[in-house]
Amino acid sequence: MSTSVDKTRTRPRSNSAGAKLSRFMESPKIGWVAFAIALLMPFIIATPYALNVMTTAAIFVLLASGLNIVVGYCGLLDLGYIAFMAVGAYTAGIVAKSFQLPLLFTIPAVIVMTILAGLIIGAPTLRLRSDYLAIVTLGFGEITRITANNLSITGGPSGIFGIPGLLEIGGIDLQEPAIFYYVTVVVVALFVLAAARLGKSRLGRAWRFVREDEDAAEAMGIHTYKVKLMAYIFGAIWGGFGGILFAAHLTAVSPQSFVFLQSALVLMAVVLGGMGNMRGVVIGALVISLLPELLRDLSDYRYLAFGILLVVVMVFRPQGFWPARGFEPERPAPNEAATESEPAPPKEAIR
Amino acid sequence: MNFARRSTLILGIATAVALGTAGCSGGLLGGGGSDDTGSTSGGESGPIKLGMVIPISGSSAPTGEYMKNGATMAVDEINKDGGVNGRQLELLVEDEACDAQQSVAAANKVVSNGAVVSVGGYCSGATLPEIPIFQKAGIPMIIPAANSQDLVNQNAKNVFLINGTGKQQSSAALKFMKKQGYKTVAIVDDNTSYSKDINTETKKQIEEDGSIDVVLSTSVTAGESDYSAVVRDIMQAKPDLVYWTGYYQEGGLIINQLTKAGFQGDIMVADGSVDASLVKIAGGADGVYATMTQTPDTIKGAEDWIANYKDKFGSAPGPYSTQSYDAVRLAAEAIKKAGSTDGDAIIKALEGIDGFQMFSGPLKFTPEHTLSSGGFVILQVKDGKFVLADDLAS
Amino acid sequence: MTQLLWDGLFVGSFYALIALGYSMVYGIIKLLNFAHGDIYMLGAFIGFAALTSFGGIPASLSIGALIVVMMLSMLLTGGAGVLIERLAYRPLRGAPRLAVLITAVGVSFSLEYGVAAIAGPNPRAFPVRLEGDVFDVLGARISLPQIILMLIAAALMVLLNFYIQKTSTGRAMRSISLDRNASLLMGINVNAVITRTFFIGSALAGAAGVMAGAYYGKIDFLMGFIIGLKAFTAAVIGGIGNIKGAMLGGLVLGLVEAFGSEWFGGQWRDVFAFGVLILFLTLRPTGILGERVTERV
Repeated sequence: MSTSVDKTRTRPRSNSAGAKLSRFMESPKIGWVAFAIALLMPFIIATPYALNVMTTAAIFVLLASGLNIVVGYCGLLDLGYIAFMAVGAYTAGIVAKSFQLPLLFTIPAVIVMTILAGLIIGAPTLRLRSDYLAIVTLGFGEITRITANNLSITGGPSGIFGIPGLLEIGGIDLQEPAIFYYVTVVVVALFVLAAARLGKSRLGRAWRFVREDEDAAEAMGIHTYKVKLMAYIFGAIWGGFGGILFAAHLTAVSPQSFVFLQSALVLMAVVLGGMGNMRGVVIGALVISLLPELLRDLSDYRYLAFGILLVVVMVFRPQGFWPARGFEPERPAPNEAATESEPAPPKEAIR
Repeated sequence: MNFARRSTLILGIATAVALGTAGCSGGLLGGGGSDDTGSTSGGESGPIKLGMVIPISGSSAPTGEYMKNGATMAVDEINKDGGVNGRQLELLVEDEACDAQQSVAAANKVVSNGAVVSVGGYCSGATLPEIPIFQKAGIPMIIPAANSQDLVNQNAKNVFLINGTGKQQSSAALKFMKKQGYKTVAIVDDNTSYSKDINTETKKQIEEDGSIDVVLSTSVTAGESDYSAVVRDIMQAKPDLVYWTGYYQEGGLIINQLTKAGFQGDIMVADGSVDASLVKIAGGADGVYATMTQTPDTIKGAEDWIANYKDKFGSAPGPYSTQSYDAVRLAAEAIKKAGSTDGDAIIKALEGIDGFQMFSGPLKFTPEHTLSSGGFVILQVKDGKFVLADDLAS
Repeated sequence: MTQLLWDGLFVGSFYALIALGYSMVYGIIKLLNFAHGDIYMLGAFIGFAALTSFGGIPASLSIGALIVVMMLSMLLTGGAGVLIERLAYRPLRGAPRLAVLITAVGVSFSLEYGVAAIAGPNPRAFPVRLEGDVFDVLGARISLPQIILMLIAAALMVLLNFYIQKTSTGRAMRSISLDRNASLLMGINVNAVITRTFFIGSALAGAAGVMAGAYYGKIDFLMGFIIGLKAFTAAVIGGIGNIKGAMLGGLVLGLVEAFGSEWFGGQWRDVFAFGVLILFLTLRPTGILGERVTERV
């Protein structure tokens, strides 16, 4: 993870402790620190419950980083993201169970299926304007769930259970909670890193351009449709891997796990953390997935709190708690934005 | 932009979260190997802990409350009589909200906290993924309510069902249908695991029996208001009986809409619909039959028990109060017989139990770990209340 | 067959009432008010609370009581709509669509779980039921309550159409939807008109909520979610931003669903509805009555 996101910006910095901390948070070390904390956690606490909660949180981080590609990088609001996880989990579950394969060997099938799903959902909808896209993805999410609930190959409403584990080699069962936790953490870390790298690649810059101003991007010779579809497909693959881990973790897949609420929670993680900034999103995902476990007894109120939080964040800090550097502030009026030391928003250049 | 302060805040939250999670017990180093189940009550002192994973939030929350009360009552009674093997019982209740993900977390939590027997389980879909967790930890499960055939089909040796199964409910339904002389029936489920299970099973049994025609077997989507599509189908099929196998929310609506559409035949519902709200939502459901394991109201000789329950909790017992009560008593009995809290010993003791008195009658598990008879009876709504109509004894 | 048509139209008129609010708000400020379906739910719960607090209502008065309660509910949901616009949407006017949409999702959550926190998560039985005679028209069973509800819906829609076409506020609304800045320059109080739009749209949804509660008899805090999506679908089918289109779209969607579940089975109904939505958005995003407009991003 490199810090050289945006060399053009020159923000005056004070030398207070807060600023130092802020600089530390920006440094490439932070990723490694987080990874080390994740690896050390089981040495502090390793009850099955804690491992289960931490594993769930790690899978959630993977989902959030995938959705971040779609929403954060490319600016496409996807309200049915959980459908990709459903596709991944069901594909893995069905293939693994019917051929009695370890889940690890279902990866190729899952990649194929999620790419297909990304194409099927993305191809007809990506020409739509953003708010239509949101509703259509929501519709697709619901369609996926209802279909899974109605078909017999997906086990109908009970879903698929008794899914084989990830892999068993030489007496080491990757299903063992602690080992599975480490596998999950490593996989998730790789994917988060990959997503962060993607964001800085040529494609990532194209995504940001599309997000900031689609017309301008088009005019500059970016094939916006193709670029958006790529974001979708990457998001889908991330979701699919989340699905494999999910299936391995629960050893069961059922339609109730893929309701709209889940999509909304992943979105919330991305929005709260700061769209486009992978580190913020990781923190957001951890908060969203761990907080309800800590507040188990308040379960009925947590969605109310989430809803209010979403509105408050959007009204007062639309870029999230920890926005991406170089992320165009969303709110300021045009003239205000121009006075900031931000790079001139391309939007103004075109109009 | 006030960026620095925000970062501090976030770091603070993250640390708080981390500390909060860590504030429990030992890790890989402290607590023994990674295969440590965290079981502390395997020891010889302190209370014996029973785990109960049930819905406390969500749409099934009221039933969860009945179950919790029933179980609490049994625990208190046993503790008053000196506990089990000289140790007190303790109930660990966790919420699963009828959701697979939450139930897995909850099951792990009760395992971590040292439960030796699980006495919970209401939503079949949420109970299924709990099985491997309890199995791995060597903890027997006495499931008081969830009764999908899928639970039986797992062939897990630690799973015991003390509610009648879908199969048994279906045969009770069939028995009653034949008794009533229905020629044609329509079966409707709500596309949930539990409901579909009864639909499929009833249809299968009716077809094997051959004397009744299943003119319609269909599903609706739970959570909607308008069920005119299924009502139309039923009106076209003109069955003598409509058997609704889903929950009360949709059941009430369908009864109401069938009545409005002028349906003349009889209506029967399965145990998930036996709830006072069914009648309220339906706007009157007199004459509707139900297949149900016995509720305290319908059990002869349970008046004292009901009075005790009311005394203790200030409200009348509901569905699965008795089963949960029995689940705890059964667990205590098995631990007593096993003489230890070792999972395998308890399982062996459960398998050996013969003639243990429960609300549903004397207990002896079948090789499949289900009740030998489901204890299903037929209730009927009279003056807005479910009352016993036929105990299906003959 | 006639039964199918009738059932479809009846459900469709609920969709139409809710779709109107969607369409009006979208037409005027290009905001997809995701929380609109939840206003419908809120309406039903306000009706529930009002009727419960009145105590027992004799059956002979039930229709009158219902209409009074419906008015009250419309007033309150209208107010709620205005409040939501004020607190959540107005500060974000001019912000990117993504931010506004996410806010709308947040409002929707707050409404749903706010009601769940106050009224409890369990479904409630509506205290007043519409009962009435049943007529047989060309083989379809049509009940008096259905006719009354459809008449109320139709009356509300006619009133709205009159309001938008003939009054000065209506003209202002149409002018804002064409060009907000020009309207501002012409001396129209844009904020006041937007407030009024939210009030009317939300009041209609609230009315639909009370009607649904009284007809179906069961309300719960998530009842607005799916129907909100359906109403949006209806608005898109008819041509979003177009008032008559919303009405037409509601009826069309009701029929499409009725036939869809007849042919494919009731459990596929939502799949069918969303499938139609996706088809329309990809093939004819302007809907049946919508005019082709070049989008300004």
